[in-house]
Amino acid sequence: MALLEVDNLVKDFGGLRANDGISFQLEPGELLGLIGPNGAGKTTLFNCIAGKHPVTSGKIVFDGEDITALRAPEVARRGLARTFQVYAASGDLTVRENVMVGCFMRTPSRRKAGEKADTILADLNLMAAADQHVSELPVAAQKKVTMATALGTQPKLLLLDEVAAGLNPGEIEEIMASIRHIHHQLGVTVILIEHVMELVMRTSDRLIVLDYGRKIAEGLPDEIARDPQVIKAYLGDRYVKEHGGEVG
Amino acid sequence: MEALKNAFDFSDQPRLDMTIAGAVGTLFLIFPLLPLSAFALATMIQFFIFSLYGMGWNTIGGYGGQVDLGKAQYVGIGAYTTAVLLIRWDIPFWFSMPIGVVFAVTWSFIIGYPLFRLKGHYFAIATIATSLVLKDLFEVWEFVGAARGLEISPIEYVPPDFLRLIFKEDIYYYYVIFVFFLAGLLFLNWFRKSRLGYQLRAIKDNEDVARSLGINVHWAKIKTYAIATAYVSVVGSFHACYIKAIEPEDTMSLDISILIALMAMLGGAGSLWGPIIGAGILIPLKSYLKEWLGGMSGLAGMDLILYAVIIMVISAKEPRGVWGIVERIRRRKRT
Ligand SMILES: Nc1ncnc2c1ncn2[C@@H]1O[C@H](COP(=O)(O)OP(=O)(O)OP(=O)(O)O)[C@@H](O)[C@H]1O
Ligand SMILES: [Mg+2]
Repeated sequence: MALLEVDNLVKDFGGLRANDGISFQLEPGELLGLIGPNGAGKTTLFNCIAGKHPVTSGKIVFDGEDITALRAPEVARRGLARTFQVYAASGDLTVRENVMVGCFMRTPSRRKAGEKADTILADLNLMAAADQHVSELPVAAQKKVTMATALGTQPKLLLLDEVAAGLNPGEIEEIMASIRHIHHQLGVTVILIEHVMELVMRTSDRLIVLDYGRKIAEGLPDEIARDPQVIKAYLGDRYVKEHGGEVG
Repeated sequence: MEALKNAFDFSDQPRLDMTIAGAVGTLFLIFPLLPLSAFALATMIQFFIFSLYGMGWNTIGGYGGQVDLGKAQYVGIGAYTTAVLLIRWDIPFWFSMPIGVVFAVTWSFIIGYPLFRLKGHYFAIATIATSLVLKDLFEVWEFVGAARGLEISPIEYVPPDFLRLIFKEDIYYYYVIFVFFLAGLLFLNWFRKSRLGYQLRAIKDNEDVARSLGINVHWAKIKTYAIATAYVSVVGSFHACYIKAIEPEDTMSLDISILIALMAMLGGAGSLWGPIIGAGILIPLKSYLKEWLGGMSGLAGMDLILYAVIIMVISAKEPRGVWGIVERIRRRKRT
């Protein structure tokens, strides 16, 4: 049975159709890459799935349950966690405290939340920074803290929105290692929005491409890289006519 | 059990802070035995009262970032419940105080439910409005003495009456409120480390992120507001027994609400010691200013000017108050 089923999802913002009839399925244990040009509707899709935005029409089934009408906290409690594109973790709290906020979703006990947080911090190589305030950390570490916090809710599915944006190559390697660890060792299913093409291509089992709110392609990374429609969406008509090249 | 342990656990506080807290606490303990004036003792009692108001404010206002300018309405509910029950039916403090909390918390649910749909300044303004409405209501409500208020006549009781909290000497009130002060501090220490406390700090930071972590933002605010309300109502009940004469104009005025918020912000909103530091600065200042300038009627508005200056300095220089300055210095030393 699919872990997530999105069926003909439509999301309008006033006159703008940000998601236009998107359908796809996600099997447990998959790592799905979600790509597309700026404004394609990737973040909107996350917001709809995670219950931040009410959908205009369509259906979302998670783990056998229709979650289309559920609000964000209820979706989270069912085991669907996410990070935000433009958010670094709370600078006011220490790293451990941030992660504990996530852990507190599953337990009221401070001791248990603290223990769980420490396990996650160790998993993501953040233990050394546990007692530092998030505002004191480099951006890469801050992004990892947001992933750790989401993991604190013990999700089955984790939606990651551009966690590698704005990082240098070394930091990207580090983030990728963390994502692979979350996926392989912790067994969490992941959907990854990413502009760093090399990262998605290398990490994902499968890719979905959005453009102007529509799903324009779906398949294995090397199929997607050769897909003329995808190349057109990314590079424009003229480039394709002149070069006929690959996205890579 | 774990909660109780957490309330007494200050191990995350720097040793220096705990040493200072211990020393100051000891000073508080022996304060009434020192050869000081009755005025000094009364000022200390006011200090404890406002520290507790500030701690209550700090839960929702400091940790939760929901600026509340209507705390006086809960002072009023607590004070009036205790006074009415004592005067009409001779129900002692220890029974009327929890009843007052029930009334106050119920009221806090009724107004909190719609008010927490509002954001930022609108919430602050709405709390002022509900507080003023309640005050106006009490001013025309004959059952509670309308604008004349209520008076507890100590002659009817045989002090020291620990059950009714009717004493002749202030020293009794001092130690009763000191115990409340310690209990309030322990509770705040539990709260800031509790699930709710963490969730509230996440909410203050970013509500969408908080929701994505399974937090019911609206309900968390309402619960915290109820806690803040309970603090204020308990102390309001104490205030009635201590002052023995309450009227809407004194007990529920906007001044009180503003003073509570201002003190907590001056000391450091969202910190454990902030409200105490704020009360420690403002209450003596206010009371001695009044004493010194009281005769000179031309200077009657001095304390208001003082508040205005404080607000301007806080918002311009250090939004996290005195405690923010302390933390800044500490961070600089570490790096
Ligand atoms: N809350 C909103 N209200 C109105 N319009 C919105 C809202 N959120 C997104 N949009 C619009 O919907 C479209 C899709 O935006 P979205 O953020 O989903 O794109 P994206 O694929 O995540 O882009 P990027 O790669 O730049 O993050 C854009 O035109 C955007 O302006
Ligand atoms: Mg986006």
